[in-house]
Amino acid sequence: PADIRDAARVRSAPAPVTDVARLSVCDLLVAQCDVNCCCDPDCSPEDFSLFTTCSVPVVTGDSHLCSQKAAVYSLDVEANPPERIFKLIDQVNPSIFCIHATNYKQALYLKSPEIPTPENFDQLLEKYGGASFRAEPDSWDLDTDVQNPPEANETSRYEYGLPVQTEDAFLRLPSPVVSSWCSDANPAGFLVNQATKCIRSVSVEKCDSIQALSMLFYINSSILAVPKSSQMVNITVQSIVVQSVNGMRTLLSSSDVLRLPMVLDELCINAVLGVNYHITHTDTGEIIEAAAAFVLGAISKEAISIEQSFKISFTQENTQPVPLSGNPGYVVGLPVRAGFQPPGYPFPAAFLSNKHSQLTILQSTSTQDCLAAQGARAPVLFGYNMISGCKLRITAAMKCQPLAQTLLDVLKGQSFPEFVASFGNSQAQDVLDWVPITQLHISEQMISHTLQSPCQIPVSLGIEVKWTKYGSLVNPQARIVNVTATITTSTLKQLPSGRERIIPVTSSVVFTDISSPAEPSYKAWPTIDIKLPFDFFYPFV
Amino acid sequence: SSQLSSLPLHILLYVNGIYYIFYFLATLVMIIYKSQVFSYPDDLLAPDLAVLFLMAILEVPRLYLGFKGNLTEAEAPLGLSLGLTVGSVVLCVYLLLWQTYVLWADVLLNAVLLSAYGLESGLKVTAIAAFVS
Repeated sequence: PADIRDAARVRSAPAPVTDVARLSVCDLLVAQCDVNCCCDPDCSPEDFSLFTTCSVPVVTGDSHLCSQKAAVYSLDVEANPPERIFKLIDQVNPSIFCIHATNYKQALYLKSPEIPTPENFDQLLEKYGGASFRAEPDSWDLDTDVQNPPEANETSRYEYGLPVQTEDAFLRLPSPVVSSWCSDANPAGFLVNQATKCIRSVSVEKCDSIQALSMLFYINSSILAVPKSSQMVNITVQSIVVQSVNGMRTLLSSSDVLRLPMVLDELCINAVLGVNYHITHTDTGEIIEAAAAFVLGAISKEAISIEQSFKISFTQENTQPVPLSGNPGYVVGLPVRAGFQPPGYPFPAAFLSNKHSQLTILQSTSTQDCLAAQGARAPVLFGYNMISGCKLRITAAMKCQPLAQTLLDVLKGQSFPEFVASFGNSQAQDVLDWVPITQLHISEQMISHTLQSPCQIPVSLGIEVKWTKYGSLVNPQARIVNVTATITTSTLKQLPSGRERIIPVTSSVVFTDISSPAEPSYKAWPTIDIKLPFDFFYPFV
Repeated sequence: SSQLSSLPLHILLYVNGIYYIFYFLATLVMIIYKSQVFSYPDDLLAPDLAVLFLMAILEVPRLYLGFKGNLTEAEAPLGLSLGLTVGSVVLCVYLLLWQTYVLWADVLLNAVLLSAYGLESGLKVTAIAAFVS
């Protein structure tokens, strides 16, 4: 009956083609001629005459065999029209280790997969049905019984990424896993500065029983100073900020009183909305201090979930935490560090580099009015070319000089830095690691024959940052080499009274890669340095 | 008294011994090479190695009995050696024809060994005939 025959046909995979004359690797299109494929059976002699070369000149079996058939295809371009030449030759492997004969049928072929049948389906499912399965067959039994106990690499110090251990388990940093709901099983990694935000489901009636809303949950277990030791470091409460229902935050003066959540007037107060851990460690991987800054807030009765934010940062003892923009090369997306040189010429001391002296660029606002936009600035991020601008409405009544000064302030900001850090981790003490900002002034001067001196107002600021790849070929670091700030001024024509003009003011930042192509360097040839000793020809000299 | 021991047989046995050491090491190294370069499952590797080691184990008494029988002009050890030679020949033919991978070098080595065995067997038969009569 038809169904049994069908079943039998399904049971065997198609036989592999081993005849060299019929094998064609470049025959990809079914029933169509492949271009430049001389072994394609679908090609007619007219198609062959259009070919330029044979993409597959030789088809052979395994080259290890001592003697085997080889199909050689070539194009005879001399003939008119060009025709394909097909030769079946015997290829001989001259090596003494060529395979003379094999008694193992699958020796030089890939294994055919087992076709599932009703009989072996269960067994195949068991072997291959999981998410992963072993490549070697079961007969090659690896030593799965005697497992090496996980070495656990008992380090006596914390290393980067190692979970920070506490008395009972790990220091928890609740974070969203898969969905936005908080999961308390995320451990904080040593030296991994993290900031997470997640949603926790709450109910005001039971708010004093929900552990994750209480300060105690985050500070009750002390941190182990070194892994697997008995030295404890208590988590101190650094500060408590109370956030009211309308969002206003107040810093509490005394942070030693533990404030636990409780229900008051249909509100749940003292619920933890954010925790900021600060861990101080030594340079040998030992935790010496831990502090937590809390943001407590009130949850109203209608709320069924709140967003909690958590942050952890690690600082080495006796250092000032300065956010690096890369180590050592700049990382794309991190702010370009800038600073001033304090008056100490000609022996400049360290640079002043703080938050207020970042390299910033004018930030476009929705009103697009330059004069109203004073103050809104965006930090220049390494690698991000930015352009921004605003529109300036000039009336006849405006005086030139104050306008020019205002525009200069708008373009450059309150404190335009003088130096830019060459590397992302340049320290303020290393004076040579800082690149001075070159300031250029281009004026679009229109030749005017008026007697008055033309009024020049700055209309654009272009900062060009030239950077290069520095260091090894496999791990190049970005290094800023040159920063040029170009102010372009244009002449402000005196307007007749009552008229007003709108001119665009732009500022842009461009990062240009000026790295020269890497050249391989070779070790110098060894030189033979032979010199005869001074008294080699003793009796004769 | 005329000497009945066969000098050619003695020389051949001596050369056979030295050649066999080379043959054993070469075949072993080639089996290791084959197992690395080609697909050589364990259930096919084991019989090949077993045959090689069995042949080595047979070779020692075979050569000893051959020497002893020839020198002492006794036909019993020589006859026993001839019997062991038959076994060695069978194993050699296996390595020549029915090994998993037969390389060209395998063919050469085994052909030389087979011809040595054949010549030896002929000389042993003549020696036995000489001793008996």
